[in-house]
Amino acid sequence: MAEPAIPAQPGKSLIAAKNLSKSFGAIDVLKNVSVSIDEGEVVCVVGPSGSGKTTLLRCFALLEQPTGGAVIMRGKTIAASGASTEVRQAAKRVRSDIGMVFQHFNLWPHFTVLQNIIEAPRRVKGIGRAEAEADAVKLLEKVGLADKRNEYPSRLSGGQQQRVAIARALAMRPSVMLFDEATSALDPELKHEVLLVMRDLAAEGMTMLVVTHEMGFARNVGSRVIFMDQGDIVEDSSPTSFFSAPKTDRAQRFLRQLQD
Amino acid sequence: MGGYRFRWDVIPQNLDFLLAGLQQTLTISAITLCLAMLGGLLIAVLDMSRFAALRFLGLASGEIIRNTPILVQLLWIYYVLPVVMGINLDAWWALVIGLSIYSSAFIAEAYRAGIQAVPKGHREAAQVLGLSPLQSFARIVLPQAIRLTLPPLAANFVQLIKYSSLGAVISVGEITRRGMELSSSIFRPLEVFTFIAVIYFLICWPLAMGIRLWERRLSRR
Ligand SMILES: Nc1ncnc2c1ncn2[C@@H]1O[C@H](COP(=O)(O)OP(=O)(O)OP(=O)(O)O)[C@@H](O)[C@H]1O
Ligand SMILES: [Mg+2]
Repeated sequence: MAEPAIPAQPGKSLIAAKNLSKSFGAIDVLKNVSVSIDEGEVVCVVGPSGSGKTTLLRCFALLEQPTGGAVIMRGKTIAASGASTEVRQAAKRVRSDIGMVFQHFNLWPHFTVLQNIIEAPRRVKGIGRAEAEADAVKLLEKVGLADKRNEYPSRLSGGQQQRVAIARALAMRPSVMLFDEATSALDPELKHEVLLVMRDLAAEGMTMLVVTHEMGFARNVGSRVIFMDQGDIVEDSSPTSFFSAPKTDRAQRFLRQLQD
Repeated sequence: MGGYRFRWDVIPQNLDFLLAGLQQTLTISAITLCLAMLGGLLIAVLDMSRFAALRFLGLASGEIIRNTPILVQLLWIYYVLPVVMGINLDAWWALVIGLSIYSSAFIAEAYRAGIQAVPKGHREAAQVLGLSPLQSFARIVLPQAIRLTLPPLAANFVQLIKYSSLGAVISVGEITRRGMELSSSIFRPLEVFTFIAVIYFLICWPLAMGIRLWERRLSRR
């Protein structure tokens, strides 16, 4: 399998939102959000329900078209409000460089685990079946599911499905992984196995943007915490300072509510 | 029973003639189903197109087909279309084309329902991984939609077996037409039409039952 085309360069902006806004009709969900994620960072996004976390992630994943501002990857605009041909082409080029893991896994139920993983490498990158399968097995070993390769998703637990979804995203060798509440749909005893995989991924140096309600993960694995409220980034700081000394009232209230 | 004396022996005497009609009925229904599956896909794709003009075309044709009687459509295709288009359409083809168009509109609905039943997240996962819209449709959406569409398609086949009897009006030699011809030559309409009704029932009823079971099994999953 090919290594990522561009080696990681810690300390350099990989993906960023610049004055990003998103409205659905009259509802302003993101209001002029700016944030930059460096290579190798694990940025955790926390905040109350409806604050725009998912929408921010979906803009980065190119699933939502911004209504203002831009998404920039390695200096190139890949999404903007009035997307030009140039922007669309740039988006097409980086598409599979951005991996995303969804709250509800979104595995394809008519494919086996292995077929789920090799589909994109084969169709998008044109990798041969044997090579794609060998790589898929390696990724499955990494998430601890090599023995499930021929099962259909419906026969797996939620935690197993989510780990397959992570392997499927990794098969495209993305340079950034987006996680939208990857463990929220899971029973407490299954969250752990997914969080461990995510922690390992972080330890390998993967750049990650993680929307999560798992404060333990944000505190221990995150290199930065972003606190969102009502479509704004209200705080952007290290986990230690966010959890021990949140600057704003809103963040303090949010953290206090978590404790109850 | 009014003193009428049934003469059931006329049926075995003319069985070959009637069964040849049945064969026509089934052939017409099968060919029509295949054509309607393609036509239905076309209408469904038009309905879901990004372009307003194509959407309008799909929507309008669907509405026209669903809101005019099938018999009038057949008569129109048989009598009017040749004049308008300047082509010569024999009765058999007029029936096949008419039924296909009619079924297309209903099958398009079944396709649409099947496609809409595939969760949006499946398409988004494909999109994020870099699959093109066409790849996503062909590899992710369609295979899942087809499974849900099979029972309605089978139900449509039952409809077609029944509707093909309309071919009698434009003298296509399917089983109903042959029944009409036979009964007027031997003056035994009661026996002949009772037999034909039983034949239709014996074919359609088991199919319909099977489909009901099949749908129940799909919905349980
Ligand atoms: N497609 C849409 N159409 C209309 N409104 C939307 C749409 N998507 C999101 N919203 C609205 O945008 C707001 C922010 O939604 P978003 O899902 O980004 O919040 P979130 O921070 O992820 O919340 P949660 O923690 O509940 O997942 C919500 O008020 C939501 O109703
Ligand atoms: Mg959310």
